[in-house]
Amino acid sequence: MNYVEPPVADILEFIAQEGCTDAQFDQLALRLFAYQYHASASYRSFCQRRGATVRNVKSWDDIPAVPIDAFKAMELRCEPPTPTERVFMTSGTTRADMRGRHFHPRLDVYNLSMTRNFAQRFMQGVERMPMGILFPDDIAMPNSSLAHYLALAKTTFGTDDSCYFMSPTGIDLQGLWQRLAQAERSGEPYALLGASYSFVHVIDALRKAGRSFRLPAGSRILDTGGYKGQSRELPLEAFYLALSELLGVPRDLCINMYGMTELSTQFYDDGNAVVPSVKSGPHWIRSRLVDPATGRTVPAGERGILAHCDLGNFNSVNTILTEDVGEPAEGGFLLLGRAEGAQAKGCSLAVEEFIRSVAP
Amino acid sequence: MSVIRVEAGYLPGLSSSDVQWRTLPFDRDGQRVEVAVPELSPSQMDALAKRVRDASARTLRTLSVSDIIDIIDRAVSRLLDRDDAYRRQIDALLPLVSGYAAEMVHLGLTGFFKTFRAPQLHRFVAEDFANPKVLDGFQPAIKGGAVRAFGPRLLVHSWAGNVPALALWSLVCGLLVKAGNIGKLPSAEPLFAGWFARLLVEVHPPLADCLAVVWWRGAGGEGADALYAQADAVVAYGGNEALQAIQRRLPVTTRFLAHGHKLGFGVVSAAALDALKAPALARRAAWDVMRYDQQGCYSPQIFYVQRGGQIAPREFAGYLASELANLQRRYPRRPLDLAESTAVAKWRQSIEWKPSTPHRQGREDLLIGDPVAAWSVAYTDDMQALAPTALQRSIVVAGIDALDDVAPAVAASAVFLQTAGIAATPRELYRLAEQLGAAGVTRVSAIGSMSAPEAGWHHDGRFNLLDLVRMTEIEHSAEAAADPFAPYEL
Repeated sequence: MNYVEPPVADILEFIAQEGCTDAQFDQLALRLFAYQYHASASYRSFCQRRGATVRNVKSWDDIPAVPIDAFKAMELRCEPPTPTERVFMTSGTTRADMRGRHFHPRLDVYNLSMTRNFAQRFMQGVERMPMGILFPDDIAMPNSSLAHYLALAKTTFGTDDSCYFMSPTGIDLQGLWQRLAQAERSGEPYALLGASYSFVHVIDALRKAGRSFRLPAGSRILDTGGYKGQSRELPLEAFYLALSELLGVPRDLCINMYGMTELSTQFYDDGNAVVPSVKSGPHWIRSRLVDPATGRTVPAGERGILAHCDLGNFNSVNTILTEDVGEPAEGGFLLLGRAEGAQAKGCSLAVEEFIRSVAP
Repeated sequence: MSVIRVEAGYLPGLSSSDVQWRTLPFDRDGQRVEVAVPELSPSQMDALAKRVRDASARTLRTLSVSDIIDIIDRAVSRLLDRDDAYRRQIDALLPLVSGYAAEMVHLGLTGFFKTFRAPQLHRFVAEDFANPKVLDGFQPAIKGGAVRAFGPRLLVHSWAGNVPALALWSLVCGLLVKAGNIGKLPSAEPLFAGWFARLLVEVHPPLADCLAVVWWRGAGGEGADALYAQADAVVAYGGNEALQAIQRRLPVTTRFLAHGHKLGFGVVSAAALDALKAPALARRAAWDVMRYDQQGCYSPQIFYVQRGGQIAPREFAGYLASELANLQRRYPRRPLDLAESTAVAKWRQSIEWKPSTPHRQGREDLLIGDPVAAWSVAYTDDMQALAPTALQRSIVVAGIDALDDVAPAVAASAVFLQTAGIAATPRELYRLAEQLGAAGVTRVSAIGSMSAPEAGWHHDGRFNLLDLVRMTEIEHSAEAAADPFAPYEL
């Protein structure tokens, strides 16, 4: 087998095909694993410490999951750096000084993964529609995977009059109100996409102004990324209730995307009529729930920490261990938020409290 | 799944039907324990506080300290009897509620209860009172006149922790100073205190109204306020934030004795590291790590091990790892919930993925133990400041050049210091104790005894009993002034 080159052509073909069998997924996952095992010394030693080798990893769920903290501590990459590579960085939700980095020597895999999946889960058969984006563009934020994702959505699926509603001081609310009113009048379905916290600001501004809109049938909303301390924390139920009431978009067309800088593929739900909604991904990503201390898959039906095997991650590591708690659900998984540090139950000091106590 | 239901707490003067109950479920290995805990209304709490305070003034205060020691001793001897109904209940249910291995709980509790037998309790009182009779009546003072110690009329305890039976410490202290005692059960182990209260009353029925054991959720609401308002003194265990929350609701005149979370550590001198002594020492060190999965305030987080002995610090870390592996077979670690498991994983990751820095050439960081093992030993060649690990049997071994390097490494955590386990020569022991004591350490023990404080220890460096009492002095002048009024004076 050729371990020198990443199996990019095969991955592109795999993403383009309609679905796959378990055996097909395993075959490509193992090939990618073997390539990364040989190409990246730090990944190899990580696997070896867990007793995982090319010889004994037999299926995708045998592949050790690399904790996302590793993206902060080192350069997880297989190909040497090039001047043209794109680097996506985490927003540093917990520690601003140390951001995780994901190196993309080429974006064709990421882009195909995004567009194939987006077309199906968000566009749902519509070729293009007018879009409003509540997030900075990828010139303002060249290291944001979300900025790239949204720019790609706009250029690939947006009509020509699609635009960003961002000003240097935040969301351009006046521009947004005008555009929403225009959509209301025209009757043409409209799509609003952005960070979840941007929508909280929109909700708050609409409430303050005493305004609301009834967007035409077929209009939809995509929010992603949680609040990240950028807005007040709104429970999911209140969030989607407010969105559908204030913008007139039914909750089954309020779609949440779950993505990560450390991945090349996204997960979506089929709307948020019921929360928490079931998230699922396309055929080139598979997820399992693990006990983070051991890395082992938890018994069927139990909660665990989500680990994702993403065949789109050809240059970093194919399987990552998140910090998100998941619960198995019909057709996918429920996302139950971040695993918080453990509270001390006894009399010994827990790390969290210690960190707070020494913080200035 | 079979279900065991237990009613927790001890509420003199209230019948079960008068009280609202809440159920705390505990699931282990297909066995469910449902513990019903009482939630008292403010007026019930108020009445309870009055009842306990008045009864203690009537009953407990008329007993001598020796009488009280005798009563506690009789209760504790029943706890030490493995055939006694109370002990059987403790051995059966505390492992289920706490999740700790039954063997570990049994062994730990027997050692713990032994420190509350009569001779140990007499020593405990003598530690704080040169003349224990000051607790019973006025005693001559050396400076002239007389002195007597009075305990608080109502002592409120806020217990915490999943170290089983922790409540016994402060409850016994309260009884020895003849206080009325009302304790709040911790949700993690809501059983022992209520059982002990009932056992005491069985042993000596007149104590029936002298103590009570209650519960409330989190920081508590108006019921807790009603109780705190009547307390003369409050003993509380918990994290600093929880302690501060309690302190904020107390009147400034209420004495507040807080036992916050602590960090323990060990120091091993090169002198203790020969081929014969090092493995035995590692076994004792592992025991301190294993005991209650490091949830105790005395539990070690790091062992500083001196270079230059026959056995290198790195080898000592290896011994420690194999001893932890051995102990895991006999006393398996508590099953972790997702949050605890995440904490352990993150701690391990922080070592595994430590960014490489160029100046560390030739020095190594090492994580010993398979990720699936229920323990972790991290070895580092670098000097490391004292900091908590993820607990759950995760321990750091740091190689050091000189024992004098330890005090500066722990000094930054002064407010969290308590126990230091030391294996060193007598001369080194005293030198270290001097340095560590100055840095904030309040207890120096042998390695292997860190997790089993001796009877009469001064918890967090304080006087367990003296801190509870108030002294009343008859000054010499009063005595002299009384003399002329005596009928036999002409």
